Amino acid sequence: MITVKDLEHLAKLARIDLNEADKESLVKEFDSILGYVDQLKKVDVSMDAAGRVGAVKNVMRPDVVESISNMDRERLLDEAPDREGDFIAVKKIIAQD
Amino acid sequence: MKIDLHNLTIRKAHAAMKAGEFSAVELTQAYLEVIKAKNKDINAYLEVFDDALDQAKAADKRFKDGTATLLTGIPCATKDNLLIQGKIASAGSKILADYHATYDATVIAKLKNEGVIFLGRTNMDEFAMGSSTENSAYGVTKNPHDLSRVAGGSSGGSAAAVAMDGAMFALGTDTGGSIRQPASLCGVVGFKPTYGGVSRYGAIAMGSSLDQIGPIGKTVADCEIVHNAIHGQDGKDSTTINDSTYKSERIGRKKPVIGVPKAFLEFGGLDSSVSEAFASAIRSFESKGYEIKQIDLPNSAHALPVYYVIMPAEVSSNLARFDGVRYGLHMDGKDGIEDYFKTRRAGFGKESIRRILLGTYVLSSGYYDAYYNRANAVKGLITQDFNKAFESVDLIATPTTPSPAFKIGEKGSDPVAMYLEDIFTVTANLTGMPAISIPCGTAGRDGKQLPLGLQLTARPGDEATLFEAGKEFLGEIQ
Repeated sequence: MITVKDLEHLAKLARIDLNEADKESLVKEFDSILGYVDQLKKVDVSMDAAGRVGAVKNVMRPDVVESISNMDRERLLDEAPDREGDFIAVKKIIAQD
Repeated sequence: MKIDLHNLTIRKAHAAMKAGEFSAVELTQAYLEVIKAKNKDINAYLEVFDDALDQAKAADKRFKDGTATLLTGIPCATKDNLLIQGKIASAGSKILADYHATYDATVIAKLKNEGVIFLGRTNMDEFAMGSSTENSAYGVTKNPHDLSRVAGGSSGGSAAAVAMDGAMFALGTDTGGSIRQPASLCGVVGFKPTYGGVSRYGAIAMGSSLDQIGPIGKTVADCEIVHNAIHGQDGKDSTTINDSTYKSERIGRKKPVIGVPKAFLEFGGLDSSVSEAFASAIRSFESKGYEIKQIDLPNSAHALPVYYVIMPAEVSSNLARFDGVRYGLHMDGKDGIEDYFKTRRAGFGKESIRRILLGTYVLSSGYYDAYYNRANAVKGLITQDFNKAFESVDLIATPTTPSPAFKIGEKGSDPVAMYLEDIFTVTANLTGMPAISIPCGTAGRDGKQLPLGLQLTARPGDEATLFEAGKEFLGEIQ
């Protein structure tokens, strides 16, 4: 089934650090869960009943900027782990040579 | 005066406050005393809000000036994944331990307008992933009926808060059974509305095509009152529906017709106490004039495997937003990308990591057709079975869970054993149909009486039939 290498790839895509012990237990748990889920492969889906649940449809709205109060802006920015003025601060993305 | 919280309902409390028998402040104080006495053992609440009495004073004013509604002054508990502006909403996770909500969820705003008292936020499995609250970063919630057992999950704190008389009602969220299963295990009523019935704006998302917010209460009538207050179309949640979205015509002339999926129940593997309680519930409906029909839901046997593909797929994308940049926990690495890796490893618990990775797997190229597309096709077949059944019945009855509350730690090692808890509840989320769990007898275990639940499912939009049958079953209407 799934290998440690596969798992490392998934963890990289999902941006999660895994240690060796995590990987070992996750491989086993994946086997158990995927083994269970694999029964879906036996279901005949040729009828193609796949569709939406109920009457839910896509809803569109105009893409317009709505203003928010300074108080709301402050509240939002205050939750950021690091800010500089009205900006959220992050580490430099492009390295300098 | 001593208020009899255990036998109090929303209507009784409203009448008493209106008549001046007790005030909202006194009622709130009574609940706060219960919480103080019981919460250290049960761990239903993660936080009791320090402004509860101030809210109660404002409610009392509304009784004086004549603007009180049925819900004014009624104290409630809210699950830790529902946003109340200025309060912490951690979703049971370390990654949001210090996150203060910047706005009110729609359901919270609606209840605030009614003058409801928010007593505190309740414990839950991290990001609502689990059936026992054992996945909470803040310790397990214990079952008020037996402290060595789980309260269920993921809304275990909300169910336990109501069951211990620590709130008149509570709000929960239900993605695969997270309102109904803990309600069943704690002996209270839990209701999941039709998908789109209640706005999800301000609920921390888990599986967006499955999540719904609903009430947990002691009576069906209380849940109905709360649902009526929180439901409705909302511009901030494009999936919300209105009352005329679904039209349904009842089959039963006098009383609703109830369908029982016998083969599916056998497949679910019922504890003997559960089959006995279920059989007696069906007899009780028969004696009240309900017609009972056997129905077949052949594809429901695949519901859990379908759920364990679709749900983690949605989890992996919903939880991608927790990156330590805009809000929540931040861990420092040597560069920006290492910040992500460290933050997410430190902030997420084991089950969240497992489901994020599983979701990443089923959505990855080469597996998408085999897992995600196939699961959606089978979901369509399951929905077709239900729609067909509803051509000849009005309600579908099953037990809520295959067995009563299990011991803390009992299902810890094998994730699939825990997943099987949701075998009867998950179909309502996959089909988008409304469902309710109501108390239905008990099972004796180690000298204690553990509650059991009966689940009724209805057509989309037909909450009315659920409430009617639920009230009649519990003897709430004479």
